Amino acid sequence: MKYLSEYRDGAVVAGLVRRIREAATRKWTLMEVCGGQTHTIVKQGLDELLGDVVEMIHGPGCPVCVTPLEQIDKALALAALPEVIFTSFGDMLRVPGSECDLQQIRARGGNVRVVYSPLDALALAQANPDRQVVFFAVGFETTAPANAMAVWRARELGIQNFSVLVSHVTVPPAIAAVLDDPDNRVQGFLAAGHVCTVMGWKEYEPLAEKYRVPIVVTGFEPVDIVEGIHLCVSQLEEGRHEVENQYVRSVSREGTVPARSLVEQVFQLVDRKWRGIGEIPMSGLGLRPEFADFDAETRFDVGDRVVEEPAECQAGDVLRGKIKPYECAAFGKACTPERPLGAPMVSSEGACAAYYNYGRLRTPVRTGA
Amino acid sequence: MCLGIPGRITEFSNDRGLPMGLVDFGGVRRECCLSYVADQVTVGDYVIVHVGFAISKVDEAEAQRTFEVLREMSQLDELEWMREVADQSLAALQQGGGGGGGGAT
Repeated sequence: MKYLSEYRDGAVVAGLVRRIREAATRKWTLMEVCGGQTHTIVKQGLDELLGDVVEMIHGPGCPVCVTPLEQIDKALALAALPEVIFTSFGDMLRVPGSECDLQQIRARGGNVRVVYSPLDALALAQANPDRQVVFFAVGFETTAPANAMAVWRARELGIQNFSVLVSHVTVPPAIAAVLDDPDNRVQGFLAAGHVCTVMGWKEYEPLAEKYRVPIVVTGFEPVDIVEGIHLCVSQLEEGRHEVENQYVRSVSREGTVPARSLVEQVFQLVDRKWRGIGEIPMSGLGLRPEFADFDAETRFDVGDRVVEEPAECQAGDVLRGKIKPYECAAFGKACTPERPLGAPMVSSEGACAAYYNYGRLRTPVRTGA
Repeated sequence: MCLGIPGRITEFSNDRGLPMGLVDFGGVRRECCLSYVADQVTVGDYVIVHVGFAISKVDEAEAQRTFEVLREMSQLDELEWMREVADQSLAALQQGGGGGGGGAT
């Protein structure tokens, strides 16, 4: 398929890998922010190709993984209400809450439906005027324009029986949190290409400057990722710390302005708890007061919740890059994609699921120089 | 949900004022919201689609250029590598060795 197959060319990847090896005078530690990139890296074995010169730490950029348990529990409570049709992206259905997941709520008679786009949820609300349709608005800056549009349209078209349970997060505060951690080992970042497609990269410039780290906006195909690593390693070797754009075919410094501006009109920055990581100030998006009528948390009294994560799941350490998934005692034993303990084992973008599905069940054998 | 894919616009439509369109993803077609890219796209353009919304137009010229540069680089690497191997074998032959190989022949 065009714009996919070319960027999967093995010879080009091999050429870039040779260049990274030539450039590196020491081993560098980089973090890819986005779960989509994690999957490409693990599936294609890019980390093992470069294991002796670059260590890849997998970042917290998987929305399924970082949606806090409290929000999952609220989703479960809403989905169990008899008047509600609860709609969600498919990958949230098996994320374990405190007691069960959305799929189990559905099995018990709850009306839970998977939608591809939030506009599908809105259409469902119009088709079912006697029911309340709630959409689980999760994700990073990539899904925010879609979710913002659904709320905007609901107001525009006067659709009263539609509301959203919001649990949006944003990338730059998470990068700052990683760098502020006293145990941080990350020396350079591959920023998420599609987040920057929407937002541009201006927000990353102060981060690169303050923390003196290279940040390379990177795409998702193997060639993109290896080129992103090459640019990052070159900066580190030359002592530079700039924001650079590898994903030129989709990203500009300004981002997609109409999308960004609708997000700003519908949402505002709020403090947000990240599952496995904790609260990060001003790291989330919540509805602006003028859209409060569409907030499911006020329309239905779901209450405030404080819940604990299962003790044997080390998802937090995986999400912060402190351990690799196979270093968790539960990995592949008590926790598998069929019976996940933590969210990173559920999502198609989660690091634990990537390691499990691609057979990374133990420490990789180091090859190469 | 976070996986965006490139697809080609085949048709425009409009849902009560909202710009929509049919996007072809390697044979699979789906209706997508084109509101955020409406002023820059025409039928035949490639867009990156996330959860039913086009979030950018793919810059085809740039995509082609980047790929050509990278491919050329890898071909140059390949040529260099072949030359190195050839030089080494030649040097080995001149030293009267068997090209560094075993003594099977």
